[in-house]
Amino acid sequence: MVEGDGEVDARPRPSAAPDVHDGRGRALGLILTLVVAAVGLAVVALLFMTQTYTPPAGTQVARSLGTVTVGGATLPHVALSFQTYPDSTGSVNGKQFHPSGNPSWPAYGLTNQYQVPAHALVTVTVRQYDSGGSLNNPWFAKVVGTVGGTATVNGRTVSAIDPNNVAHTFTVRGTPGTDPGFFVNVPLPAVPGDNQADNGQYETVVFSFISGSKGIYAWNCEFPCGTMVASFGGPMNAYGFMSGFVRVV
Amino acid sequence: MSAGAVFEPDPLPQEKPFFSRAAGRIFIIWLLMTAVGVFIGMWAPSHLLPNMLSGDGHTVVVTVMLFTVLAAPVAAFVYAVGAYSLVAWRRKDGGHPDEPPPDGPPMRGSGPATMVWLSVSVALVVVLLVWGLSEFTAAQAAQSNTLQVNVTGQQWLWTYSYPGTGVTSRSLVLPVNRPVQFNVTSEDVTHGFWPAALGVQVDANPDVVTVIQTTPDKLGGFTVRCSQLCGLYHAFMYSPGAVVTPQAFAVWLRAQGATAPAAAKTALVGSGAPA
Repeated sequence: MVEGDGEVDARPRPSAAPDVHDGRGRALGLILTLVVAAVGLAVVALLFMTQTYTPPAGTQVARSLGTVTVGGATLPHVALSFQTYPDSTGSVNGKQFHPSGNPSWPAYGLTNQYQVPAHALVTVTVRQYDSGGSLNNPWFAKVVGTVGGTATVNGRTVSAIDPNNVAHTFTVRGTPGTDPGFFVNVPLPAVPGDNQADNGQYETVVFSFISGSKGIYAWNCEFPCGTMVASFGGPMNAYGFMSGFVRVV
Repeated sequence: MSAGAVFEPDPLPQEKPFFSRAAGRIFIIWLLMTAVGVFIGMWAPSHLLPNMLSGDGHTVVVTVMLFTVLAAPVAAFVYAVGAYSLVAWRRKDGGHPDEPPPDGPPMRGSGPATMVWLSVSVALVVVLLVWGLSEFTAAQAAQSNTLQVNVTGQQWLWTYSYPGTGVTSRSLVLPVNRPVQFNVTSEDVTHGFWPAALGVQVDANPDVVTVIQTTPDKLGGFTVRCSQLCGLYHAFMYSPGAVVTPQAFAVWLRAQGATAPAAAKTALVGSGAPA
């Protein structure tokens, strides 16, 4: 460049040096950019596809009870059984069911993931050990979606329980891609008093429903038994405690 | 270039011919991008949105179409100038590491260009504002024979109660050609009541009842989703819905155990405050 005092800048210009500015360099750069972008997208997609929830205590596969006739149709008959605890300190052979949460959180156990065959009669037995209180939506005190619209509580048939004496609910719904209308809600009555972990009292609730088509169904508790806002935080908003999945295969 | 070569100053760009050629090319790119945008605006709303079952739903489709088509030339202009600048006006010689890039040609304001730009922008915004307000006003107009439905969201389910009938359901069933008023609230955190096929979307806030109404005008099924990220099972927070004939609606109410059909009828045709 010509400076003000007339001196000449004799510094070499590097314009002839870099090859990346010629046509082949630009094409190579474009191709490399596209390849890197495609690889990045593929990695992200792969990560999404491999994200599956694995319950610490594994999946409970329903036990076969043979076949049964319901409404003139012969269906496979299977059984599930689980519990609801006032805390999450339970363990089997030294392995804790709920290793990632606060031990004071209530929890379903032994696991929160169940597997049943499609279009089968599923009979569920729940031992409910927890205390409770009032539902914020009394509709969830009704038994919905079971065979006959009923459940038995300690052998007594009910279609609803007292909405002010509920410990938890077992509420299952179809997810996108399964049966959208599938819905089961069973309220679980509270055990009187506190500190049930020590006294070992429980309520036995039994109900049956007909499973839907193959797919993954989500279940959760509708009693506000968690922490924070409206008691729907903590165990209500973390996998493994008051929610889970029913895998229909 | 050898180490001893004289460094010549960069010639000043020839402004007028250069700009004219560039303007022509940008115009062509703008035209193509506008055509693509208008096509997407005309095609996408009716193909990507659900099968609409209410007048508000049809309005949503037309509104998305209108806004997209009107926005297409504006967006295309920005993209065309940007894309052309990146390709044609980038520095090609690499420059000297110690040298700043040379200045571009001086820019001067243009009165007519500013007037055109402002006028077009104002006209577009006014059209969209008038359109939006008129449709919103029409959607909120009070109507007779309105069916009341109380909508409650809680993690992670919707329940619908029909005041005066004793009926609460997980499914949202509505009679065709009858105005419906949704009284929406939440039991815990904020959810989003979104029966997209009805052209309705409103937040469900705890301790607040938000009112919105529509009139289903076509039979069919639809899905209610939650439009606010609300926690662990937000993705599963949806429920089935259906627009049915008035006769089928009455049958459905009875099947759900409607407790007082006569009283229910009276309550259902009322259009007063939420129950």
